[in-house]
Amino acid sequence: MAQIALPRSVTRPPWPRWLRRGIGALAAHLTIIAIGLFFFVPFLWMLSTALKSDQDVFRVPPTWLPHDNLQVTVNGQRVPMYEVNIEGQTRRLALLSIAEGYGTFVDPANPTETIQVRMKFVRPILVPGPRWQNFPDAMNRATRPGLGVNFWTYIKNSLIIAVFAIIGTLVSCAPAAYGFARIRWPGRDIVFLIVLSTMMLPFQVTMIPLYIVFTDKLKWGNTFLPLIVPTFFGNGFDIFLLRQFFRTIPEELCDAARVDGASEFRIFWSIALPLSVPVLATITVFTFLWAWNDFQGPLLYLTDPRKFTMALGLQDFQGQHSVAWNLLMAAAAVFTIPIIVLFFFAQRTFIQGVKLTGLKG
Amino acid sequence: MTVRTGEAIAARAWPHSRGWSRRTRRQFITGLLFISLWIIGFFAFTLYPMVASLYYSFTEYHIKRAPEWIGLINYVNLFRDPLFWKSLSNTAYMVVIGVPLSLLVSFVCALLLNIKIRGQSIYRVIYYLPSIVPTVASTLLWLWILNPNSGLLNMLLGEIGIRGPNWTRDPAWSKPALILLGLWGVGNTIVIYLSGLQDVPVSLMEAAELDGANWWQRLWAVTIPMVSPITLFNLIIGVIATFQYFAQAYVLSAGVSPVGSGLGAPLNSTLFYSVYLYQQGFVYLKMGYASAQAWILFIIIMICTLLLLRSSERWTYYEGG
Repeated sequence: MAQIALPRSVTRPPWPRWLRRGIGALAAHLTIIAIGLFFFVPFLWMLSTALKSDQDVFRVPPTWLPHDNLQVTVNGQRVPMYEVNIEGQTRRLALLSIAEGYGTFVDPANPTETIQVRMKFVRPILVPGPRWQNFPDAMNRATRPGLGVNFWTYIKNSLIIAVFAIIGTLVSCAPAAYGFARIRWPGRDIVFLIVLSTMMLPFQVTMIPLYIVFTDKLKWGNTFLPLIVPTFFGNGFDIFLLRQFFRTIPEELCDAARVDGASEFRIFWSIALPLSVPVLATITVFTFLWAWNDFQGPLLYLTDPRKFTMALGLQDFQGQHSVAWNLLMAAAAVFTIPIIVLFFFAQRTFIQGVKLTGLKG
Repeated sequence: MTVRTGEAIAARAWPHSRGWSRRTRRQFITGLLFISLWIIGFFAFTLYPMVASLYYSFTEYHIKRAPEWIGLINYVNLFRDPLFWKSLSNTAYMVVIGVPLSLLVSFVCALLLNIKIRGQSIYRVIYYLPSIVPTVASTLLWLWILNPNSGLLNMLLGEIGIRGPNWTRDPAWSKPALILLGLWGVGNTIVIYLSGLQDVPVSLMEAAELDGANWWQRLWAVTIPMVSPITLFNLIIGVIATFQYFAQAYVLSAGVSPVGSGLGAPLNSTLFYSVYLYQQGFVYLKMGYASAQAWILFIIIMICTLLLLRSSERWTYYEGG
């Protein structure tokens, strides 16, 4: 079929092979890095904003380097420096305290005499440098004054839901998957087809009746129960993933145990589960991700800010206030960090899991 | 002996035969026990809600009052509701422009990440990381990047002399802004493509190369047909997910409009199908109307999936027929 290939060197420029390769590799690196900037730079922007002072955030045009207020030590206390306009003269003074729109300033060189100036007429002095204080400030800031709610509350709630969701998923999906993978019973394949088809049902179809049952009939509104309880009854995706894995366990291993008189549960518990630690870890990671990330579920069921998850708290924060973007970005970074840490510990699991969800079933 | 054989045949002939051997019966019960939690879950959290939702879709149901049967009126009203059509066309915009664009970008990225060069694994991690950022966090980050005055993107555009648009605050640009946000998180699709690219047989590539095919020709004649089943998979998953697109649009509306001025801001340009459904059901508490919307969504998704599968017979290539 194939014609005899022409000698290729005739059509190619007479450059040495290593040079051609080198140029090719360089071009590849440059292209990958150029596109990679699109994926990477937003992270830097989040971090840069998270470390900026309040005045720095809205500076036009925006700057890359975060700036913080210049600070000096007066009487053993760290205080910020301001440019203060007094009778047409600009002086650099340190701010001791603020009350009713007036600031009490002091000259760091001569700290005995204090000066009262309206805050309207002063400007903070900024120097390049990260403002780490934003992180504790963002986490401890009362997001709903009077309720004692801050981002620690949201993190705690998210963690509670995630932990129970993980337990529920493992407890319900592992036995079900074993039942589909390793026990031959009449009707099994039809039922498994139903399991698979439940994955295709859009969430919106079951959303309304479930909402009515949980909040109206069971009075579970504003509790974590509607978000946790369903995870204890299996889901198609994880059952499918586990079943694929259980099927790779050699049948002889189970048969040997059966000959020894072990019950199916015993085989599941002492043979299948210990061999499946990698896939159980995958499911743990996925379930954590899903619970940590979930927005619509908490949005439906949680109404009291004290019960909010991280996802709700963050978006609520930006809806309620004139946005302090630096604190919001600091909080968003905190929301993201557990997942990035998880990624670096479970990198292989992650990528493998994504592959499994692909076509290779 | 003969009895046992008879039983075995009967068991194999199930469900037509009534007589199961003791062993078959025991396995049936064991099997059901193992999947019992799923069975309860299926009835309680899938089958019952499906039936109930279908029933509600034919009723007027304001959560505090009992549902009242009104036949097809919800469906008729939906077809007369301009916001229903608006939400459908907004969603179609995302499906028709956003989904193919994200497939194209993922495929190009996967091609790049498949090149054997130093630092390949670091590059892969960088491309993948955004896709694990929680949706609300990534949406807020992009709201900030797209901030017309002090955002990163308009600053960068300004540096090359372009005055950036108002992005999320301009109805003409809010959907492109969301598509951009979606492109940032295509990591999962890239990984699926990457695994597909690695399954393209080396021998096929070498044969094409020997035949004198250049890089483009090999891409068109070998790589793209070989990954076409993966394109189909990504396309179907992408279309289904886009019809249910919610969190990003919700967070965006809350971020660009003053509190209380509603979903779909600016000017209903981000009122997507699921957002409108949520608004009808959980803001206005019109549970019957929202249920009808949910069933139409279900039907649309099924039709789209079937059409894609049908059409795919013409453009996907499977080894060995």
